[in-house]
Amino acid sequence: MLHVKDPIGANLDRPLAGEDFRAAERFLYTEARLLDAENYTGWIALVDEDIRYWMPGMETRRRDDKRGPYAYGEMAYFDDTYAELKVRVARYNEPSAWADNPATRHAHIITNIEAYETNDPTLVAVFSCFTNVRNRNEKDQDVIHGRREDVLRRHGAGFRLALRRIFTVHNVLLSKNLNTFL
Amino acid sequence: MSLTRLCALADLGPDKITRVEVEGRSPVALALADGGAVAFDDTCPHADESLSQGWVEDGRIVCAVHFAEFEIGSGKAHNAPIGCGRLRFYPTEIRDGAVHADLAD
Amino acid sequence: MCKAGRPDMKPAYPQAGSYPQFADLVDTERSQVDRKVFHDEAIYQAELRQIFGRAWLFLAHESQIPGAGDFVRTKMGEDDVIVVRQRDGKIGAFLNSCPHRGNRVCMVDAGKKARGFICNYHGWSFGIDGRLVGTDGKVYDTDPDFEKHAITLTPVAQVASYKGLVFGTFDPNAPSLADWFGPFTWYLDVMLDNDPEGTEFIGGCIRSEIECNWKFPAENFVGDILHAYWTHQSGAQAILGGGVDLGPQYDERAFQASIYGHGIETNLDKTGNTKTLGYPELVDYVFSQYDKAKDRLGETRARMVGAISSCTVFPNFSFLPGQATFRVWQPKGPNKIELYTWTLVNKSMPEHIKELYRRGTMMTFSPGGVFEMDDGENWEYCTKANEGWVTRHQPLHYALGISSKIDAPDLPGHIHRGSLNDANQRYFYTRWAEFMRFDNWSDLMTAETAPPAKAAPGVAAE
Repeated sequence: MLHVKDPIGANLDRPLAGEDFRAAERFLYTEARLLDAENYTGWIALVDEDIRYWMPGMETRRRDDKRGPYAYGEMAYFDDTYAELKVRVARYNEPSAWADNPATRHAHIITNIEAYETNDPTLVAVFSCFTNVRNRNEKDQDVIHGRREDVLRRHGAGFRLALRRIFTVHNVLLSKNLNTFL
Repeated sequence: MSLTRLCALADLGPDKITRVEVEGRSPVALALADGGAVAFDDTCPHADESLSQGWVEDGRIVCAVHFAEFEIGSGKAHNAPIGCGRLRFYPTEIRDGAVHADLAD
Repeated sequence: MCKAGRPDMKPAYPQAGSYPQFADLVDTERSQVDRKVFHDEAIYQAELRQIFGRAWLFLAHESQIPGAGDFVRTKMGEDDVIVVRQRDGKIGAFLNSCPHRGNRVCMVDAGKKARGFICNYHGWSFGIDGRLVGTDGKVYDTDPDFEKHAITLTPVAQVASYKGLVFGTFDPNAPSLADWFGPFTWYLDVMLDNDPEGTEFIGGCIRSEIECNWKFPAENFVGDILHAYWTHQSGAQAILGGGVDLGPQYDERAFQASIYGHGIETNLDKTGNTKTLGYPELVDYVFSQYDKAKDRLGETRARMVGAISSCTVFPNFSFLPGQATFRVWQPKGPNKIELYTWTLVNKSMPEHIKELYRRGTMMTFSPGGVFEMDDGENWEYCTKANEGWVTRHQPLHYALGISSKIDAPDLPGHIHRGSLNDANQRYFYTRWAEFMRFDNWSDLMTAETAPPAKAAPGVAAE
């Protein structure tokens, strides 16, 4: 069983091909479109109930520091199960979620997509990069750049998000909040 | 083997490095390790700083200035700046409560 | 420079001055604060000198740096500081700036077992005690006029701990940390001493940037629980399935306490804050520890351990008892802060309980947290609105509960009835004005915000 603290088990010599790859790619774009539209209920419908969703805080450390820039079990932005993601979705759906009322304008830009088989035929490993732009009111703008490592579980003709590791390039988050999913 | 008397064993302390001036040659450094005294060049092979400013940690001599680490015995350098050579160690013997070393080339 | 004498490399600690014209912007007669204190650049510079240049500021938790050479880098005001455990076990703190050309000597956020800090520019090397131990090892050592032993990283003038929390001040003449808190430690102990084994921080620190004046979040935590009712309806609904209910627990069994501008607002509901973390198991845990806390702290403070409560230690260190989030609002000019957040737990807590606090603070008081998410925009627009020339001349109202002061002989400090009250915020700005007005500690420690004499402050409640 994969754990969110570990690499996602991509077999780099076995890339997904053809329609299988396009389906994985389409999954990420669909997800981004739902998040752009603030359709959090639609988004969480794409999430596996066993999801682990982790975005650690990124520290600046010496190259020879064994801890590295992040460590599982330490402070993070997200380290969520399905139940915890649902709590966040519930807040977005409240009219008094002031950071989202008036609405935030989102663009989840997803690039550098690579998809590989894992040792489990029901799971595929997907790498991607993102630029997340949020803009609200007149000109309050927040931009986050980073990389994602996902595990997608095969589900009918498509996929469900089973695990996501999010690594931003930022040390200090250059935003007052994180009112989105990445 | 010609031994040079360096200092009383009682002058050495745990973890610290003691520098001894020796006539006619560069200073020698002494530390307690492996249940006895070890002797080595006080001048760091990297940048001529005195190793007596440093300390002993996990079987290594640590230079306090640029943080090179030298294995006790072999003198092999770790975590050292570019161009840092091996640290030279000398055989020691305790006689009458004093540390002696063979400083011959 | 052409005469080329020897430099005087003694560390310098700038002296405070007096700014009565800024102090007067806090009108205690009318319970008003002039908006100028939130946007004016000259006032901000005076804050760096008067407040951040001499107050005791939060640096670290001792648990972050257990071994010799373990260090974290942080800020005191806008000054970059390295906090490092010494080989004798004490904690030192130094300006992160090489005395040669001023470059940072430590670029990283934290680390273990540092041997020292070497400047990347010319290789000047400093021990963990701040002393210059060497340079390049070749050139300077052959210069007969080079006085290596006179050179050091500038030490933070005083560093001291209170029950695991490490503070520092740039003022060699500042009173001791114990005097700085006065009897306010009676309230700090609710979080820091409800268990004999003490506390620790969970590893790591989440940092974010908010475009607001640093005093807005500081005043919010010092005594503005009222905002939760409106600001945090959505978060409360998501976690608790209902909005914030302003019931009698905020009035009859609640109070605000202020000492030297430090303030805590609390009610006595035992687990109100802990409930909002969203894990019933945590609430059960806090209840299960109640008797033990009561033996240690007495009934009043034992009821505060998980209660709805918030606290600011003047000027910019805040925490939420029960929710376990600890934070510093680092000033970055009049219109910006960096927010550093940590999670504090008792060392003796089982691992799964510590983990629930970690997850709970992430769910609530973190940039993506369902409560914190809605705070930042309020503080940003409280700050930005003052760009308007006419707007910035309008009064601000800090007058809730002006007749609610009570004697409360059992509680240290200035006490006001009910936690829905602006009292602590008034004391916070009064303290701010005292720092603007006074250039000496004798006046600062005997001014209006000093604690009133009580029979046995700090123990009367037991």
